Amino acid sequence: MNSMTAIPLLQVKDLTIDLFTEHAAVRPVDGVSYDVSQGETLAIVGESGSGKTVLNFAPLGLMPTGVSVQTGGQIIFDGQDITKLSERQLRSIRGKSIGFIFQDPMSALNPARRIGRQIAETVELHLGLSATQAESRTLELLKLVGMSDPESRLQQYPHELSGGLRQRVMISIAIAAEPKLLIADEPTTALDVTIQAQILQLLKEIQSRLHMAIVLITHDMGVVAATASKVAVMYAGRIVEQGPVHQVLVRPWHPYTTGLIDAIPRAEDMPGSLFRGLPGAPPILGGPVEACAFNPRCAYAIETCRNRRPPLLATPTPPVIAACPVVLGQWQEGGAP
Amino acid sequence: MSGGHVLRVENLVTRFKSVERGKWITAVDDASIDLKPGEIVGLVGESGCGKSTLGRSIVGLEKPDSGRILLDGVDLATLSGRKLRDTRRAIQYVFQDPYASLNDRQTIGEALAEALTIKGDLSPAGFRLRIRTLLEQVGLPDSLHERYPRELSGGQRQRVAIARALAVEPRVLICDEPVSALDLSVRAQVMNLFLRLQQELGVACLFIAHDLALVRQAATRVYVMYLGKVAEEGPSLDVYERPGHPYTRALLASIPSADPRIAAKRTLSAIKGDIPSPTNPPSGCRFRTRCPLAVQACAEAQPPMVPLSTGHAAACIFAGQENPRIGLSQTIGAVV
Repeated sequence: MNSMTAIPLLQVKDLTIDLFTEHAAVRPVDGVSYDVSQGETLAIVGESGSGKTVLNFAPLGLMPTGVSVQTGGQIIFDGQDITKLSERQLRSIRGKSIGFIFQDPMSALNPARRIGRQIAETVELHLGLSATQAESRTLELLKLVGMSDPESRLQQYPHELSGGLRQRVMISIAIAAEPKLLIADEPTTALDVTIQAQILQLLKEIQSRLHMAIVLITHDMGVVAATASKVAVMYAGRIVEQGPVHQVLVRPWHPYTTGLIDAIPRAEDMPGSLFRGLPGAPPILGGPVEACAFNPRCAYAIETCRNRRPPLLATPTPPVIAACPVVLGQWQEGGAP
Repeated sequence: MSGGHVLRVENLVTRFKSVERGKWITAVDDASIDLKPGEIVGLVGESGCGKSTLGRSIVGLEKPDSGRILLDGVDLATLSGRKLRDTRRAIQYVFQDPYASLNDRQTIGEALAEALTIKGDLSPAGFRLRIRTLLEQVGLPDSLHERYPRELSGGQRQRVAIARALAVEPRVLICDEPVSALDLSVRAQVMNLFLRLQQELGVACLFIAHDLALVRQAATRVYVMYLGKVAEEGPSLDVYERPGHPYTRALLASIPSADPRIAAKRTLSAIKGDIPSPTNPPSGCRFRTRCPLAVQACAEAQPPMVPLSTGHAAACIFAGQENPRIGLSQTIGAVV
């Protein structure tokens, strides 16, 4: 628990996001709450369609065109509710006090512009530096992210760099304005393991230097354990389990979390032995449902799970909370709902 | 001659013209691998190591510059035209992305029927029956044959892709990252399908993947590639528990553990730098520029494969030595 003095940098309270396209209305985020403090890393874990990416990008206006977004709840960042801000006001936050790293650095960088220019642009925009000042700041940033031979990198184009180096460039842009919060969406998924290890290490170093809060979106429990102190597990737009990493990953309560952790191959699994996993597939995003979205895949599901929304409950290992009243003994087969 | 191998690749070299004028990329450089009937063999390494090019060369998607590919002891280079196509059909390829490998405008039934037409000799009723069997083999309901790929989940699509590969009754499946595009909770289902197909149909499988933990559990033997060359080969347990090549050790040490108790005790990033450009690979041992053990001799000649135990060998002059120079002697036993 936070002490009285430490107000979390980011507080998301009962956030609901509805997306409307010409053809459909979906609710990728449904009543989600969490907070992150300075210097802390929260991992948000989920599979495709869990809403983990929309959760972090929609409130900042980062959505594909042709989609209208309606949000409920609050996102208090550094004292102000950013769901209430205009596009113009958001623009002064994006890239400045909140930095972003995307999964695929190739599509996030401009292929036709030199690396140095792309970094300098952010620096000029957000720190109000002159071109010459920006250039020296750019060089500084490239050194900070551990780029070898930074002077000549400035002149290179994204395609001339390896995936790992491109991600370093992305990180340098993200931290250019020394943001208070860094949102990293699957930052190492497209990278090789040895390069992933380097990037995760780099993020840790930069975090301790800048005292940033990090929200790390990932599907890899190994990445969670290596970088985060808190974790929120999402399924079909809702948080199903949340708590400190050293508790949730060791003693999960929700059957979905348990299944995900159980699915990781272990050292004692013999070659040729069957893989553990979950039956079925993650649901396709749709409207809100008055049920546990995981029930079709769940071994513990009872009738109540099919027609009532499970609340997040305290577990025997506080402060972990989990949205499974069956496992936590609140709902029983045949019992009054 | 084939010694009971269904597939044998000998000293394969596949080169590409570089975008830089006059330069060549040797994507696969003198690689030799083999598969016994019904065996699942892993091929691991980082991007650019040549593992996919090796797989694509085997099925004829790339043209090797030299080396031999033997199927049941028959050198594919000695065949041509129809004979080559008929023989090559015994090797099928499963692609990484099931969203890209199926035709959007074909129903699942049509996609499978097309593959069956290649095999020929089926009556219309025989077609339907065979499609039903194929869907059943990959664990899909028969009702799916009227559906379009867009109506299917990623896991279901990959099953269809596997069913299509099975349509021509192959002896070898080359699977290039077949589950990496799938959700974590669904991967196990598809992996178990491979294990079952291997047991039930005796299909041998070359499993190309970057996910070492996955390969360890699926494959009985594994090849580790680095910059076009096989760095280490051997039974999975030997390679993972007693890695002989510093690159294999570095790879294993880079996998983050999902157990916070282990993660807290370990620092990641056991290896520095990027993979060098394949247009200009280092002399001698390809790994020497990132290797903590490298000495002058490593730059002078390519290290031979040093045998470590039955079937286990590593291309490192220090392989098998108890404490090769300073540090990095600790073996990483656990995968996760």
